[in-house]
Amino acid sequence: MTATVAPPVVRAEPRPVHPGAWWTWAVGLAATSARTSNLAILGLIAVVVCLVVWACRVPTPLAHAHALFLRLALAVIVLRMVLQILFAPRIPGHVVFTLPEATLPGWAAGISIGGPVTVESLVGGFIGAARLALVLICIGAVNTLTTPSRLLRSLPAVLYEAGVAVTVALTATPQAVISTERIREARLLRGRPTRGPGALRGIAVPVLDGALARSLTLAASMDARGYGRRALDGSRHRWSGVVLIIGLVTLCVGAYGVLAAGTGPQLGAAGLGAGTLCCGIALLAASRGGVRTRYRPVRWDGRASALALAGIAPLAATFATDPLVLQPPLTPLSWPTVPTAIAVGLIIALAPMVVAPNAERSDARSGDPS
Amino acid sequence: MSAAITGDVSPLDRRGPRSARRSRPSGGVIGVGLRGSAALIAISVVGAASFLWPLVARPAAAAGDLAHATDAPWLVLAIMPLLIAVLIGELTAGRIDAKAVALLGVLTAAGAALRMPTGGIAGLEIVFFLFLPAGRVFGRGFGFVLGAVTLFASALLTGGIGPWLPFQMLAAGWVGFGAGCLPRARGRSEIVMLGVYGVVAGYAYGLVMDLWFWPFATSSGNGLSFVAGDPVLSNLRRFWAFHVATSLGWDTARAISIIVMTVVLGRPVLAALRRASQRAAFDAPVEFGDH
Amino acid sequence: MSATATVTVSFDGVSFRYPDTDAPTLSDVDLQIHEGELILVIGPTGSGKTTFLRAINGLVPHFSGGRLGGRVRVSGHDTEHHAPRELADVVGFVPQDPSDSFVCDTVEEELAYAMENLGIAPVVMRRRVEETLDLLSITDLRDRNTATLSGGQQQRVAIAAVLTASPRILVLDEPTSSLDPAAAEEVLAAITRLVHDVGLTVIMAEHRLERVGHLADRVIIFDGPTPTIAEPAEAMISAPVVPPVVELGRAMGWRPLPLSVRDARRHAAELRERLGSTTAPPASMPAEQHVIDQIDEIHGNGAGDSIPEPVVAASHVTVRYHRSPALRDVDLVIRAGEIVSIMGRNGAGKSTLLHVLAGLRSPDGGSATILGASPHGLTGHERIRRVGLVPQDPSILLYAETVDGECRLADREGGLAAGTTADTLERLMPGLAPHAHPRALSEGQRLALALAVVMAHEPRVLLLDEPTRGLDYPAKRRLADSLDDLAGRGVAVVFATHDVELAASVAHRVVVLAGGEVIADGPARDVVCHSTVFAPQVAKIMAPDEWLTVEEIVRALDRGTTVP
Repeated sequence: MTATVAPPVVRAEPRPVHPGAWWTWAVGLAATSARTSNLAILGLIAVVVCLVVWACRVPTPLAHAHALFLRLALAVIVLRMVLQILFAPRIPGHVVFTLPEATLPGWAAGISIGGPVTVESLVGGFIGAARLALVLICIGAVNTLTTPSRLLRSLPAVLYEAGVAVTVALTATPQAVISTERIREARLLRGRPTRGPGALRGIAVPVLDGALARSLTLAASMDARGYGRRALDGSRHRWSGVVLIIGLVTLCVGAYGVLAAGTGPQLGAAGLGAGTLCCGIALLAASRGGVRTRYRPVRWDGRASALALAGIAPLAATFATDPLVLQPPLTPLSWPTVPTAIAVGLIIALAPMVVAPNAERSDARSGDPS
Repeated sequence: MSAAITGDVSPLDRRGPRSARRSRPSGGVIGVGLRGSAALIAISVVGAASFLWPLVARPAAAAGDLAHATDAPWLVLAIMPLLIAVLIGELTAGRIDAKAVALLGVLTAAGAALRMPTGGIAGLEIVFFLFLPAGRVFGRGFGFVLGAVTLFASALLTGGIGPWLPFQMLAAGWVGFGAGCLPRARGRSEIVMLGVYGVVAGYAYGLVMDLWFWPFATSSGNGLSFVAGDPVLSNLRRFWAFHVATSLGWDTARAISIIVMTVVLGRPVLAALRRASQRAAFDAPVEFGDH
Repeated sequence: MSATATVTVSFDGVSFRYPDTDAPTLSDVDLQIHEGELILVIGPTGSGKTTFLRAINGLVPHFSGGRLGGRVRVSGHDTEHHAPRELADVVGFVPQDPSDSFVCDTVEEELAYAMENLGIAPVVMRRRVEETLDLLSITDLRDRNTATLSGGQQQRVAIAAVLTASPRILVLDEPTSSLDPAAAEEVLAAITRLVHDVGLTVIMAEHRLERVGHLADRVIIFDGPTPTIAEPAEAMISAPVVPPVVELGRAMGWRPLPLSVRDARRHAAELRERLGSTTAPPASMPAEQHVIDQIDEIHGNGAGDSIPEPVVAASHVTVRYHRSPALRDVDLVIRAGEIVSIMGRNGAGKSTLLHVLAGLRSPDGGSATILGASPHGLTGHERIRRVGLVPQDPSILLYAETVDGECRLADREGGLAAGTTADTLERLMPGLAPHAHPRALSEGQRLALALAVVMAHEPRVLLLDEPTRGLDYPAKRRLADSLDDLAGRGVAVVFATHDVELAASVAHRVVVLAGGEVIADGPARDVVCHSTVFAPQVAKIMAPDEWLTVEEIVRALDRGTTVP
């Protein structure tokens, strides 16, 4: 095999961006939302996310996920507001309306329902809800910016077997759905009901039987095509195991620190952070080596780095801002302001619109049943 | 045998020529080795901490700490995906052969496909139900991985990946693991045991996910929210009020549907899985004769 | 084959037994396959063909368990010391149902899957994917979702997926069994190109010998656990399953045995003369007349003028799936006791038509009635007494754990006397073990069980969707006899198939669908004999005379010789 022959350029297509970059971007924005209770900043973040999604959306089977997440965010806001109105704390402020009071009996923790509802508590509740909703929207956005298959292709090699299992599940589900429909029809043919517990048994068991039979054929085909060839590097495996054990122990210490009395949350957070780092290193180390290669791997290139930085920029800006501006007090109520650092950070967060706009439209799978 | 302990050699390569394959110990289709057990325990501890921290939270000592105290849920939210990845990696890397992978994928697909005709309020019920007999027939390791993989694939198939996913994967993995730990039984007592476990696990799953959601849903100072520094019991009572208000209804509906499914589907599904296990010949000895 | 040709696959005294069984599936297998040969493996169902094929790449015994005696060597590798995954670049194995063996959801990724496992460099992978797409003419399928491919396309993608690993040996398990003639031709052309242009060794098992009989260099016959290998002409003389051309050759005593239509036509000229002088082929009768004759036979009266009432009446039936028409203005009238075969390419609308007739789907335009009433929306007893449909995969009709349980279930459902279904089953296929699990039965046995379950309620119309998938010749003959028997008792039988031999042997009428429209509807002999795609082998051999089956010719010769 002459490796010097260049691969034939068959189609010019824009290469997709590494999903990790999109996740970093989204997590950066979500972390920014989590760190602030300034409504103006939260509003700007929402605008940024919507703009980027509109510009960089990819045709993916999960395109409807964004609408789902929006609805979920709305539901969360509603839930929090209701809970806040019903169980609001009695802080002094401008009363908007008063609900009839009641106190739950002692066995229900003596919680009091109702009472005067103040503007401050409403605003406070709304801010908290908006923060959570925004985190949801940021995470939900990623589902429309990258496809599941790309995500599976860029998993580290240590997760290969699990990734194959998920890939098989995604491939086998449409078949299983068709098989369910056929079995339902077969029940009709035999004059049996298609609803009710008897139908549940009559449909679920044959579908399961069919799926299990299919799994054997699939496994034989995978075996025959070389699945399971893995040259394990003994020393690397041992080394990564040591790092892993260290990481796990640190994690347990961190967890103890978070839960136990006396030690501050710093120890807990530090322990968790260090432990996670160790485990991450062990994960990456174990992913190297091994025989498998990847066809058309999704590379981490300049665009991916730019995207990741664009997400981290607003988060970094929050560390450089006065905490009082980030978390303005509820009393007295005042209109929030947006510090310039964060504004700049958010503008940088719009970078994906320039760097990776609509780039992956050609990724659409042709020939799908409409 | 030392190779098996350090997990260096893939189980597929352990077999030498001209030897019958050693029959696998009753650990099931995916054996959980030493490293796997360590990872499972440690990350489960972290997971438990991430669920339970509001009950035992300490009050902020100084004003600056207040900001950090409320950072805890977000921090755990951020590191949990990595930890789940590490855990799944430890349990599966080099340890699953093609039959187990195909089974995992296909069981997930069957559950996902059956959601439509069987309906269910949350749509999760039959998927949840399938963890129980699968964990029982194929072992605890398989049950854990099945739980995690099913939730992940379901997310990719339907709603998308959300911040709750790593926690759902962990909780579902525990359910599958527990199903594999049930004691030996056959016949009617097996179905009863599976049903009881299913109901308990269903409630526990709902409880745990609600517990995770609790600090996010109620702001500090709210009557229903946790109070740092209070004794565990009073925090628990507040949580219980929150739980009743939000998700007890869903959980009860899930429990009812699990009971119905166990009664209707329990025996045939167990039989089908056992038949498949036999046909797959996981432990069948491979012998070579003389020439 | 010259003696110096390299041996690529050799079996030395091989015997194999599955775990927990006493009887060996393979015993004393001794044969050698040379490089570049196209080997055909034939034999009745359940005779060990699949086990033999799987032994070549090591799936037996590594994957299935069991005890293998003797030695199997492929390209110098002993399967005892090499698991199937290590032989992935030596032997490519394509299983029976390719749609079940797809791992990835796009064609391109599926092709690359084998190479990823082998650790091939990405540059080389790209090149090989392109070359393999060209080799099998599937370049336009590159981005398609594997679930949306047609049968022939799936088969070619499955072959491509194992070829990218560059094996020198290709093993195929029944590649054309579920394909229509056109798709089967494409797949066989691809396989032939692989053998002749690329020089691969191809070993394939096949039931539809009429398609492949003339392609093989040598034939392995399984008539028990010990196979024999011989040149095709020799092997076919005594093989247990043979295509119609060989059957005719055997009946007429032609030597060397013709394997293809072309070979047979050289002998056929003389046969046509013989037949032409003594008897005439059965004249093509209008369908009604044929049916009237049959009913006369049943009722034994001379009411030869009354035409029986139509049982199935479809008029202007139109069906649309997602705005693209699956059936366009289809008219169809079927009377009691008629056997009608619906033929056409895969995707021409045959299954849709059957679904409409069975009442599973109501037509978007026009109407379809069974005995004057629409079958859609019928429930329970009404439906199963009127129309029965045996779907493509008969096992989805079966619920119970045992054959016996299935029969009792059918009795209970239909309110029949206990044992009715079991009697029907006994008539269709005697000797079925009552405690066997339905999924453990062979294809033909499962079909018989499904047929019994449906026929026990005595519906007036029986519909079958592709009944010959996976059936060998004896099973097909038994099916044909059952259908004849049913039609004789006044049931209207409609089956959709692309198996021309079955249609030729049993159908009174043939309806051809293309693109959702009826393009031919008439007596079987008329429609089928002069079609290029749907003519059975005997018709092609005896053209321009119109003969459909070997039995007809033999009977005509017998009748001719008794005429003084």
